[in-house]
Amino acid sequence: MGVSSPAALSPRPKPPGSHLAVPDRAKALSGLSRAAKPPASAPITRTPIDGGEADMAEQMNDALRSQFVSGARLGEGTYAIVYAGHYRHDPTKLVAIKKIKLNADFKDGIAMDAIREIKYLSELSHPNIIKLHAVFSTKDQNLSLVLEHLPLGDLEGLWKNKSITYSSADIKAWSNMLCQAIWFCHANHVLHRDIKGNNLLIAADNTVKLADFGLARSFADPGAKMTSNVITRFYRPPELLYGCLHYAGNADMWSVGCVIAELALRQFFLPSETDLQQLSVIIDVFGTPSEESWPGVGSLRYYQPPPNRSAVKLPQPLSWWRGRLPLLGDDGIDMVRGMLAMDPQKRLTAEQALQHRYWTSAPRPTKKENLPNEGGGMKKEGEDLKRKGGETPAGAGRVDKVARKLDFGGM
Amino acid sequence: MSKVTSRANGGQVRQGEAGGASPLSKSLYSLSLKPSSRPRTDAASDVCPVCKSSRYLNPNMKFLVNPECYHKMCESCVDRIFSHGPAPCPIAGCARTLRKGKFREATFEDLKVEREVDIRRRVASIMNKEESDFETLKDYNDYLEQVEEITWNLILKIDVDETNHRLQRWADAQAAETGATRRTYEPDPSMAGASGVVLKKGGTQRRALETSSGNTTDTNVKDKGFNFHGLKKKVAPPPEAPFDPFDGWSIAPQYYTLQNDYDADWLTKHKREKEQLVGGYQWSDFYNRALQDAFGGLTVFIDDEIRARDIPSGDAAIGTERAATAAAGGQDVNMDDIF
Ligand SMILES: Nc1ncnc2c1ncn2[C@@H]1O[C@H](COP(=O)(O)OP(=O)(O)O)[C@@H](O)[C@H]1O
Ligand SMILES: [Mg+2]
Ligand SMILES: [Zn+2]
Ligand SMILES: [Zn+2]
Repeated sequence: MGVSSPAALSPRPKPPGSHLAVPDRAKALSGLSRAAKPPASAPITRTPIDGGEADMAEQMNDALRSQFVSGARLGEGTYAIVYAGHYRHDPTKLVAIKKIKLNADFKDGIAMDAIREIKYLSELSHPNIIKLHAVFSTKDQNLSLVLEHLPLGDLEGLWKNKSITYSSADIKAWSNMLCQAIWFCHANHVLHRDIKGNNLLIAADNTVKLADFGLARSFADPGAKMTSNVITRFYRPPELLYGCLHYAGNADMWSVGCVIAELALRQFFLPSETDLQQLSVIIDVFGTPSEESWPGVGSLRYYQPPPNRSAVKLPQPLSWWRGRLPLLGDDGIDMVRGMLAMDPQKRLTAEQALQHRYWTSAPRPTKKENLPNEGGGMKKEGEDLKRKGGETPAGAGRVDKVARKLDFGGM
Repeated sequence: MSKVTSRANGGQVRQGEAGGASPLSKSLYSLSLKPSSRPRTDAASDVCPVCKSSRYLNPNMKFLVNPECYHKMCESCVDRIFSHGPAPCPIAGCARTLRKGKFREATFEDLKVEREVDIRRRVASIMNKEESDFETLKDYNDYLEQVEEITWNLILKIDVDETNHRLQRWADAQAAETGATRRTYEPDPSMAGASGVVLKKGGTQRRALETSSGNTTDTNVKDKGFNFHGLKKKVAPPPEAPFDPFDGWSIAPQYYTLQNDYDADWLTKHKREKEQLVGGYQWSDFYNRALQDAFGGLTVFIDDEIRARDIPSGDAAIGTERAATAAAGGQDVNMDDIF
């Protein structure tokens, strides 16, 4: 574990210098990780660095940092700026360096987002989850995360890019990678809490990778409260909009359903301007929830019953889904509707979603190497040209080495 | 197949060919040298043998041939004679039944060449092995040599029926091996007389061939028509396994069994809470996590991890493998709550 807490049940300290070599930070983190309180009141203390003396951790950090060379800026998120980079010893080994912005709220510590991202990424190792190579601190006492480089954009960019056409089989392939990623998170008891197209980055080999674990957390203990103010609005499930504090993996599953619908629609599936409007957009599609359809819904903090009978909306019928999402087919529609059940108890879990018949019914998901992407087909073209140019065999001068063959096919 | 060294082409013997010359160019050469039976003056080649109209009077006149007999005639004759269905060739002494659909423009001035090229094209569509299909270049060249012989037999009308049947068996055997849709070898239509079928209707001949060769592929006697030395056995690609939505990953506890429910006083209180249920809180998630946390570290050996870590990072396969074993052993990680 990168960030080991003293009372960890499963102490698996990463050897020094591997993932986190910032002892002063680590101490602050271990204090933090025990605290079940909002970040603002978390007891963040910074152990001053002993000046002068050759601090071993400091040296190891420097050694780690010097392994990487950072380059052009790739993108900017809410709490970090991402740069392209590579290993110093091998410039062909690309990485992305996510440098955490200095945050006014956390002058003496680290932004919560960074802690979460480091903590969960250093534990999750799956082909569909972005890999964290290393973490080091820079001279200005700021953290940098060394992530695997994912150069082909993200799923949102893909459906927005109208010069790219894609098929049902392509959608199925991308959706499957997304579902595997979230299944692996949940099986390891990690909630992502910010699943959306632009946090699903695409590797050079077209693998979809779940990234941005800045809002992730473990599943909560019984009775423990979690904040309901997570997940980007378009992807936020109704229980969170109603202010629910005890949710589970199925909150992420709602977002997964939205992302898959979005891929098939090539538009945002449930867009809105405000949190309140988000609820009405959801109700327009899924109907007004009731105690029968969602036991206990009336007890949620922000729940408001419909003012009168005529305000009660009915869910859209199957024909509406078929008209909206023809690319998913009946099986895909059935799965997405299962992910988008209003009552989270009725929603498909990640494991149930992966067991759905959609994956094994026709069409078979496109193989990774055949998926369309935003990188253009330059590489393939080049290889074809090479082959055409190389028609003449090396020993062409020697008649006895050449196969005697005439081609009548083209006549 | 018997090696034919001497061919009945005006006593021409195909032996001691110059090394590099292609057999086709050889044959084209000899055909062009051979004096035509009919004096080939420009005027003669421009006159339709049926209606005697001449290109001199009608510059747009087109000559067509039918590969049944390769007798040349003008387009308007073809229209006139064959528009109402199959009819006998009007050239004296021919009388083969021709159908309008099969007529086409002659590519070569010399219709013998036209026919030879047709035969070569048909044979090549069945005999389509490449150098990489053979163990050695010599085997490949021997194969090409044999194909050349087959072609010559057809061109020179030697053992035509036998050769056609063997070609069809070969086509069937190839299709069976690769699992591809089988390709029908289309025998030389101009040879139809040889097998005694003169008037064929709607591919009767082809169907007859198919059934006869179908029998041979069904029986255990694997007569492929031909045997080529050094031909690599084609391994048909194994049928694609059904898609696995989990891509081979599984997470199951190894050191304990997970029950559906556990009883503990402090839990019972929460279990009845509506607010726990309404948000979709899953008790099984909690039991699973608690047990994973409790047993997770049992088979983790730090030394092993250090060794694994020392393999240069950036290798995704290693990380994945490690996680897979960790996951399969149910020995996954402990993650504390932040909030
Ligand atoms: N590994 C990476 N490879 C390439 N680009 C990346 C990588 N990680 C992030 N980016 C770019 O930086 C942007 C912000 O990253 P993200 O992790 O989503 O930060 P935030 O949590 O602040 O939203 C992304 O939208 C993407 O364009
Ligand atoms: Mg982001
Ligand atoms: Zn005529
Ligand atoms: Zn004729």
